[in-house]
Amino acid sequence: MTDSLLHIENITVRFGGIVALNEVSLDVARGSIQAVIGPNGAGKSTMLNVISGLYSVDGGAVTFDGQRIDRRAPHAIGRMGVARTFQNTELFGEMSAIENVMVGLDRHHPYKFAIAMAHGPSYRRSEIAARREAHELLALVGIADDAPAAASTLPFGKQRRLEIARALATRPKLLLLDEPAAGLRAAEIESLNLMLLNLRSAQGLTILIIDHVMALVMTISDRISVLNFGRKIAEGEPGEVRTAPEVIRAYLGEKGAHALRP
Amino acid sequence: MLAQVLVSSATAGAVYALIALGFVLIHKGTGVVHFGYGDQVMFGAYMVLIAQFLLGVSFWPASIAAIAFSGLMGAAIYGALMWPLRNASLLARIIASLALGTVLREFVRAYMGPNAWPFPFLLSQTAVSVAGVLVVPANLAIVAVSLGVLALLFFLFEKTIYGKAIIAACDNQIGASIIGVRVSTVFLAIWILASVLATIAGILVAPLLTLSPDMGLIGIKGFTAAILGGFNSLSGAVVGGITLGILEALAGTYISSALKDMISYSILIIVILVRPQGLLGVLTMRKV
Amino acid sequence: MIPRVAFWVVGIASFIIAPQLLAEYHLFQICLIASTALVVLGLVVVTGIAGQISLAQSAFVGLGGYGSAILATRWGVPLWAGIPLSSFAVAMSGLFLGQLTLRISGHYLALATMAFTAIVQLALIHSDPVTGGAAGMPVPVFRMFGVTLTTGRHLYYVILPSTALLFLLVRNVMKSRFGRAVTAIRQSETAAEAMGLDVLRYKAIAFAASGFLGAVGGGFLGSLSTYLDPAQFGITQSVYFLAVAVVGGLSSPFGAILGSAIFIFIPDLLQSFQTYLGLVFALLLLGFIVLRPKGLTSVRLPRYDFASLRPRGQQ
Repeated sequence: MTDSLLHIENITVRFGGIVALNEVSLDVARGSIQAVIGPNGAGKSTMLNVISGLYSVDGGAVTFDGQRIDRRAPHAIGRMGVARTFQNTELFGEMSAIENVMVGLDRHHPYKFAIAMAHGPSYRRSEIAARREAHELLALVGIADDAPAAASTLPFGKQRRLEIARALATRPKLLLLDEPAAGLRAAEIESLNLMLLNLRSAQGLTILIIDHVMALVMTISDRISVLNFGRKIAEGEPGEVRTAPEVIRAYLGEKGAHALRP
Repeated sequence: MLAQVLVSSATAGAVYALIALGFVLIHKGTGVVHFGYGDQVMFGAYMVLIAQFLLGVSFWPASIAAIAFSGLMGAAIYGALMWPLRNASLLARIIASLALGTVLREFVRAYMGPNAWPFPFLLSQTAVSVAGVLVVPANLAIVAVSLGVLALLFFLFEKTIYGKAIIAACDNQIGASIIGVRVSTVFLAIWILASVLATIAGILVAPLLTLSPDMGLIGIKGFTAAILGGFNSLSGAVVGGITLGILEALAGTYISSALKDMISYSILIIVILVRPQGLLGVLTMRKV
Repeated sequence: MIPRVAFWVVGIASFIIAPQLLAEYHLFQICLIASTALVVLGLVVVTGIAGQISLAQSAFVGLGGYGSAILATRWGVPLWAGIPLSSFAVAMSGLFLGQLTLRISGHYLALATMAFTAIVQLALIHSDPVTGGAAGMPVPVFRMFGVTLTTGRHLYYVILPSTALLFLLVRNVMKSRFGRAVTAIRQSETAAEAMGLDVLRYKAIAFAASGFLGAVGGGFLGSLSTYLDPAQFGITQSVYFLAVAVVGGLSSPFGAILGSAIFIFIPDLLQSFQTYLGLVFALLLLGFIVLRPKGLTSVRLPRYDFASLRPRGQQ
């Protein structure tokens, strides 16, 4: 499909004897918000790690923006326009919030090593521009006042938002969110929803979310794919997926599925 | 001839195996990689000499005293160093074990002088001809003790409930405590055992290599042997030790005797790069 | 702005005044401190800031010292050119060592760098014709612009400015996107990689920098001691430099200077206990790593802020 930014075709991932993903295919359309859900151990995080290049596939292919990425190094994939957050926030704890974000956008304000050694004029210009852009991103996610605070000292909700700001700093085409709503209160999920919808409409950003929290997933996704035991068992719009029998069975088990029947 | 080289190399191999066993014991038991272990081996041998001077006793009682004292030392190492650093960064723990080794080495250098000391053999040094090959009883003792220690540790870990408790404590501290294993006691026991083992190894090994403060460098060879065998495997430590001994002897005979050590260190780098899990081990991964 | 200017004024003034006031012995010590601080700065960069354990520093020092000495004795390259030249070559070896970090880290990296140091030391001992073997070799006299520099007082004018320059360059790089990248890598390689940073390249460059700084320090130390003895370039010395770094503050360039000053002054304090010097150093390392792992500088100085350049016109 020419308008799918991310095209995953029949990927299989094995860890020793365990098959984490079993011939899974997925397409993410440009400018859409798509979610991947499923019970614990379904393979969602594995899929994210495959896309971002941390895991290699034992079969199948991953194509991003027309190019194969399944054999590339994570930093190369990052430079192509794929950004991600992590389930256990992997912030640069001792660095301040604004420094965390600057690490991401430094690439877009480059200057040579020799200039860095001498602190020449282009160094100052780039640093000022980078700092300004970093401030804007912090403001976008709502933590502008926390710019100088060390990342590890921020409360959990703000750390999550910093992770997103940091991912956005690399100016990605595709944003991968690994359980962004985990541990957030209802009000925080609301503002997260609004932020993501805004990113999609204002910047045309494509977003792929992995999560359990239905308040996030059902509200903003254009399309949902459901994994269970490493296989895709359902896919479609939120309304369809919510009532699909296979999905209910996967989450609630046979008895639960029976209990829901009218 | 080749057979002679192989037989002679069995001694070196057994030495490496003995030290490797100590490394693996500490790592398998407490998860710590002890960079100062080679220096503990060296210190063990020196303790015998110091006991002889201080207590005025002869070799055997001094050895007993040294072995007993090393048990205390193991407890002190755990209590004063390893337990306070149990949650510290990996870097801090590596530096700590290096520092410990250096403290032992420098103490010996200052107190006993930088030059080599003679150290008596336990058994006869005269070579005996067995089937046309020369065998030295003292060296045979080292091989026998290495195998004996391996058998003992193997029995401990595989066959007794204590061994299983030790592995459990190392693998999953919280889980182990829940089922009633006192993790700190387990770790303490491992450190005492490993330190005693170090002194025994030192007593056996010191007559072979010259006893000097730098004898602790043998630790790197022990490390190489442990890595060759897959760092968490006791039998692997022995296999690795013997393999390293043979490789070194062959290199020494057929390539160059002076470059023997350089070749061993190069083997270490190559193994780390090419096959970090060693000959027998399995690679592990970290989940993100 | 003002504190910065004041710092420079005081610094340059002290530099000019010191030789008028101090005796040769003290100037020699200052040169030793500066040279050691350079070596330790290399360790601060690769281990403290980039987070890569390295026990190769004394090998770099030895290669730098021997390299420049051999260039001078065999090919008549004057030391003021030979030291930078051999330091670049040593930096290449550091770059190569850094490639190892692709496959290994932590314990294995410590081991590999230990093995590297052991191999280099053995190579120096066994290369008799070139290096003088186990007996070592003398370091040729430092000649520059026709002037012979033999004493601490003379070498002061070469060593101090060079050290200050290199420290300034390192500080500048730390306050740039490169410094941010390397610090980020130390704290989370996974996240840094995901954000497009070529982690391997940065680590390798950190190793190369530690090689360069160690070699320059080695060249200066060689000129000060006038003799190169291979026994001085082993694993124990790597641990010594590590001790200086830890006591000063592993991730602080200023800590390198502070630690070096302390370690160079200690032998003076322990006048009659010279034989126990090594033990004191090792005990210091042990004590600090258990009780105060962030070193002395963590007590007084504020956290190093990389984005602290105040842009003009920004509120």
